[in-house]
Amino acid sequence: MSDGAKQDPPSLDEFAKRLDAARGASEPEGSSPRASGVELGRAFRVGSEMLAGLIVGGLLGLGLDTLFDTKPLLLLVGILLGFAAGVLNVSRAFKAAGKAAGKASGTDAVQNGQKPSGQG
Amino acid sequence: MTRSAIPGLQAAGPMEQFEILPIVPLTLGNLDVSFTNSSLWMVIGVGAIIIFFFAATGRRALIPGRVQSIAEVLHEFVADLVRDTIGPDGLKFFPYVFTLFIFILVANFLGLFPTFPGLPHQFHTFTTTSHIIVTFALAMVTIAIVIIYGLAKNGLKFFNLFAPSGLPIWLLPILVPIEIISFLSRPVSLGVRLFANMLAGHIILKLFAGFVISLLSAGGAVMILGIAPFFGAVAIFLLEFLVAALQAYVFAILTCIYLSDAAHAADH
Repeated sequence: MSDGAKQDPPSLDEFAKRLDAARGASEPEGSSPRASGVELGRAFRVGSEMLAGLIVGGLLGLGLDTLFDTKPLLLLVGILLGFAAGVLNVSRAFKAAGKAAGKASGTDAVQNGQKPSGQG
Repeated sequence: MTRSAIPGLQAAGPMEQFEILPIVPLTLGNLDVSFTNSSLWMVIGVGAIIIFFFAATGRRALIPGRVQSIAEVLHEFVADLVRDTIGPDGLKFFPYVFTLFIFILVANFLGLFPTFPGLPHQFHTFTTTSHIIVTFALAMVTIAIVIIYGLAKNGLKFFNLFAPSGLPIWLLPILVPIEIISFLSRPVSLGVRLFANMLAGHIILKLFAGFVISLLSAGGAVMILGIAPFFGAVAIFLLEFLVAALQAYVFAILTCIYLSDAAHAADH
């Protein structure tokens, strides 16, 4: 009987289970390289998001200034709004990344003893 | 000792690597459409991609070989990215995102290849993504797709993107301009980020390498000091490998996020 069991190819479910177990055993603790890459990507984003908001706001203000001949006024308003837009960009970058990270690394968070729902 | 101790050893300026040089001069009316070193490296990049994927998909074995595995991992990586960010209906954008990702990745990596010694200047290794016009053009294509697709899918509701629902009326005059600026800043930040990262990385790399050359050409005991910037250059080179892959990834994921905004603008 044992011979027969050996010759039967293992079912795919069983194989998947064993594969998951093997993967879980070799999974490094803490963050995976991919997760740290995502973190780094977010860090790279923040500066340029802020800068881009300021540049676009300032340029729009300057353009409208020359259009309506109100030289420094709309530039200042534009830079202010651009700053706000930059902050909005940055906060969106973090919100989107946080949502993605929470979905992707739900198992990681449980491993570390902090359930994602515990924070809310 | 002002002359180099080793003849012919001279550090190149850090900006020389970004010079655009015509290889085949062409004009179209008043337009200069010369085939430049930038065009050459884009063609090399696209050629390398085409050859690689033809080689990878040529056999289509059930148990993939090495080349096929790389292609499958790349495909799966981008497909996961698109599915996670835009949703299952976002896979129609997969060809675009995949093309964008692979092109930027290969262009970034090609720029890290060392130049074959002795080649004339216009055949030196060139990083196409270190020019803002290239990255900005890529960003504009993305934003054009976002706007066209957003308008086609949501109609005028696309403009809900600029006026989030559930907002008191008196806040609209402040928030709508901010949202518009935020939207307009997307292509700028996309283009500037990729360009600035590649430019800065290559300048730093060249500076460190230049220090090595300068110290070596000083001769005598000073030559030993050249080992320090040499290791610095190696470290920066490794970092540039990471940045090259990361920037391609960031460009792709942001494209997905913007496309997702366009696809779901009506739900705002």
